[in-house]
Amino acid sequence: MTRGFLAGLGVLLVALALYPAVATGYGLRVMLQLFMWIALAQSWNLISGLTGYVSFGHVAFFGMGAYTTGILIVKLGWVWGVAALAGGLTAAGLAFVIGWPCLRLKGPYFAISMLGLNEALRVLASYFEGLTGGGYGLSLPTLDASGPIYYAMGGVAVAVTALVHLIVTSRFGLRLMTIREDEVAAEAMGIATFRYKLYAFVLSAVGPGIVGGLSARDHGYIEPISVFPIVTTITMIVMVLVGGKGTIWGPVLGATLLFSFQELVWSHFISLHQLLFGAIMVAMVLAMPRGILGALRQRYGLPRTI
Amino acid sequence: MNLVITPTMIGQVVISGLLAGSLYALVALGLGLIFGIMRVLNVAHGPILMLGAYTTYWLFSTVELDPYLSLLVSMPLMFVLGVLLQKLFVRHVVDAPGLSSLLLTFGVAIAIVNIAQLAFTSNLRSVESLTGSFALGPFAFSKARVVACGFAVGITAAAFLFLQKTRLGKAMRAVSQNREIAQVCGINVQRIHMLAFGIASALAAAGGSLVAVMVAIQPGMGQVYTVKSFVVIVLGGVGHYPGALVGGLLLGLVEQLSSLFLTTQVNEAVAYIVLVLVLLLRPTGLFPGRSQ
Amino acid sequence: MTLTGRTLSAGLVAAALLLALAAPAAAQGPIRIGASLSLTGADAKLGQYQREGYEYCAAEVNESGGLLGRKVEFVVYDDQSAPATAVRLYEKLITEDKVDAVMGPYSPSVTETAANVTERYKKVMVSPLGSTTSIFRKGRKYVFMLVSPAEAYLEGLIDMAARRGLKTVAILNEDALFAKSAARGAADVARQKGLQVVFREAYPRGHTDFSAVLTKLKALNPDVIAAATDFDDAVAITRQMRELNVSPRMFGVTVGGDLPEFYSLLKQNAEYVYGATQWEASLPYPRQREFIEGYRKMSGREPVYHSAAGYAGCAIYLLAVRRAGGIDSDKVRDELLALSTRTAFGDYRVDQDGFQIAHKMAILQWQDGKKVAVWPDELANGKARFPTPPWGQR
Repeated sequence: MTRGFLAGLGVLLVALALYPAVATGYGLRVMLQLFMWIALAQSWNLISGLTGYVSFGHVAFFGMGAYTTGILIVKLGWVWGVAALAGGLTAAGLAFVIGWPCLRLKGPYFAISMLGLNEALRVLASYFEGLTGGGYGLSLPTLDASGPIYYAMGGVAVAVTALVHLIVTSRFGLRLMTIREDEVAAEAMGIATFRYKLYAFVLSAVGPGIVGGLSARDHGYIEPISVFPIVTTITMIVMVLVGGKGTIWGPVLGATLLFSFQELVWSHFISLHQLLFGAIMVAMVLAMPRGILGALRQRYGLPRTI
Repeated sequence: MNLVITPTMIGQVVISGLLAGSLYALVALGLGLIFGIMRVLNVAHGPILMLGAYTTYWLFSTVELDPYLSLLVSMPLMFVLGVLLQKLFVRHVVDAPGLSSLLLTFGVAIAIVNIAQLAFTSNLRSVESLTGSFALGPFAFSKARVVACGFAVGITAAAFLFLQKTRLGKAMRAVSQNREIAQVCGINVQRIHMLAFGIASALAAAGGSLVAVMVAIQPGMGQVYTVKSFVVIVLGGVGHYPGALVGGLLLGLVEQLSSLFLTTQVNEAVAYIVLVLVLLLRPTGLFPGRSQ
Repeated sequence: MTLTGRTLSAGLVAAALLLALAAPAAAQGPIRIGASLSLTGADAKLGQYQREGYEYCAAEVNESGGLLGRKVEFVVYDDQSAPATAVRLYEKLITEDKVDAVMGPYSPSVTETAANVTERYKKVMVSPLGSTTSIFRKGRKYVFMLVSPAEAYLEGLIDMAARRGLKTVAILNEDALFAKSAARGAADVARQKGLQVVFREAYPRGHTDFSAVLTKLKALNPDVIAAATDFDDAVAITRQMRELNVSPRMFGVTVGGDLPEFYSLLKQNAEYVYGATQWEASLPYPRQREFIEGYRKMSGREPVYHSAAGYAGCAIYLLAVRRAGGIDSDKVRDELLALSTRTAFGDYRVDQDGFQIAHKMAILQWQDGKKVAVWPDELANGKARFPTPPWGQR
């Protein structure tokens, strides 16, 4: 990375850190939401962009984190910061338990079984009413913490992006990408593919878990359909596809572009929202399968570490 | 007053399960055809079913066409749509890496549902033509469901015959088994792919026209069928077309019996649980060795 | 002469300016009320009705000279039926658009989350359709309820059953906040009135095949089946009850049974079915006729209870503002707490939490293709047809 890029990044981070001092409540919330999308898209990129295992149910980890955090706050009176971290941990635990069997499945089998995981979790959350409130939802005590949550959410977005950077530039990352290109060959080369996939999968669940917990605290009310919506998974996927899957900055770019577009333009054409999503997905797959950054990289011979 | 589950109740629920399962089989056969031949999981299969249901609804509400006759319109219409989808979009990504085809059909599915929302609104529609039931001993048979089951079995059987007996059907199975060899044998693979997509979509449309009489029609009604169809073909074994019938009936039974013995609340998750269990325990389906 | 002419015209201009300054309606601009509604997504249809209710309310008050001499104007956004979006939109309305006041969103779960924002900025929010108790029992100070709580939906059905000496009731519900609350309310009332709850089961949203659960119900043969539903499941359950020949002496649903489509879809199978509603065009409320006619003229369609609730919620808020003499939150709040009135939507009075205690649900029954209000007695315009005959004889 060039010095200029690093300097620019530093300035941006400082600006974002100072932003709450001048922001309106709405501005703060918009940025907070953007951070959430960056963290989610980047996490999806970690498993699906790097290893090629497309997860259609990644919002399951978001929901897991949301419920863990919500329950810890409501039933045990935990501080929200700690509770959200615990949400990240339980999401990782879930990923381990689910990944153990499911990562042996390939292609669409894995994708659909992840979709199934999400549906099953939503049903479980409805069913175990004593713990989760079921269809009544879980109401958190009222608390105004937009400011601290802004920093926490931003921190997660930065951390997940740094993690992907670390992975891509490491041997671990090379192994993951070998799995993506040709899993059989990777295995023949002596790579313990299953183990690395599982690591990547568990890591990819932590971010959504924490972010889910922070969102639960921020909104103050969760219910099964609001924390396990398939549309959130779709959004993550579209963001990564637009930015460029398997790149470091692609998900950040995709999340920023799509989210700003959504706030500025789509709010006026809301009925076309999903149609545009679908069209973007089709267009990206057909015309720019590597996303914006992938295409730029190919064209200008940019390094892998973008 | 405690609920005692009697054999009559089980019988009644088994009937419902088989009736529902025959429709699953019909729809799943289409999804399985595309998946078997191209290794493309067509997420837009369910939304195409939804379009079939709307076709029936509009024909019924505007020119009062009998819903079962509307099969003659919805099936060819969706056949054409399927061929177009293949020709315009899916053809380019059949062998592309990174599950491009899955993402592409996902995008198409979202777009179709949204277009339906814009064109038809989210208002619930329904086709009231065949209501009520007839009794056979202690069991009640819903007329609409029995007729739908009859059509489903008939159309499924016709599709099997087509695959088994006709030259074209044999060519399709050949492509499904080994594309390269089929190509060498002079089969036009592109044409077979388009045909498969067309037939599959027509089967989805048939499913849509038949459920139109039974449930509320709305743009989001199709998605659940994509997933259930996938479960059915996994149960039956990929590429093993008669397996779809067995898989469909099994899924219908499991869903209904779980509602009877456990609770309807978990109904949505049943298909997925079955899916994950089968994938983990019997990854080649319930009939290993007989599939390709 | 020219000089005098100039002086004259200058004087006229000055006078006009003075007049303009003196007229507060023109100078202060309109009172802007912000709301986020479910205009797309799962609740799109009902959110649209609520919006028309709001707009009719604004049109009505503007026609009669505005509020405190100012025009009333709505700023409405679409939250796509998603709580997360609604939170952001209320934040935008309050901190960026700087609206003078807010009104509630559509569904209970959206209201739950949006209330966190409005509460923080100490904005009074009358919630026309937030019907779940928990929203109002969390110590919030500025949120006000208009409708009867979800728990009250099936109360009338159970009460009628108890008065007719029926003994057993089975309760079904969709697995969602509103329906669960309604089912819980029904079970509580049944126990209080000495009925035995012999069966309770939930089913997932969007469920279409009820044969297994209805088979169980047929075996239990309860006197009453009470179902806490949405529209499409209400239709599906009724239809499949006929197919499986499940015939209790009373069968009632919550949402859905009150809509005209319920009858147009089910025809004679809808006969004898009970529905519950917060409002009905035929109920004897004040200014009901004006509202219905005005609404019809404005929107080109018949109002449903969501329209009426939107209208009445807005009207009650405006009434409180008028009494408080301004839009100051704390003064308006005091007025809303003290207010006891009857609008085109029915009675309004809240307790110290802003929880509705005066509004009455009505129970309807389909009789010869018409909805007849059969409960409570003071609102009834007909008698219930009881018991429900077997399916073949309806």
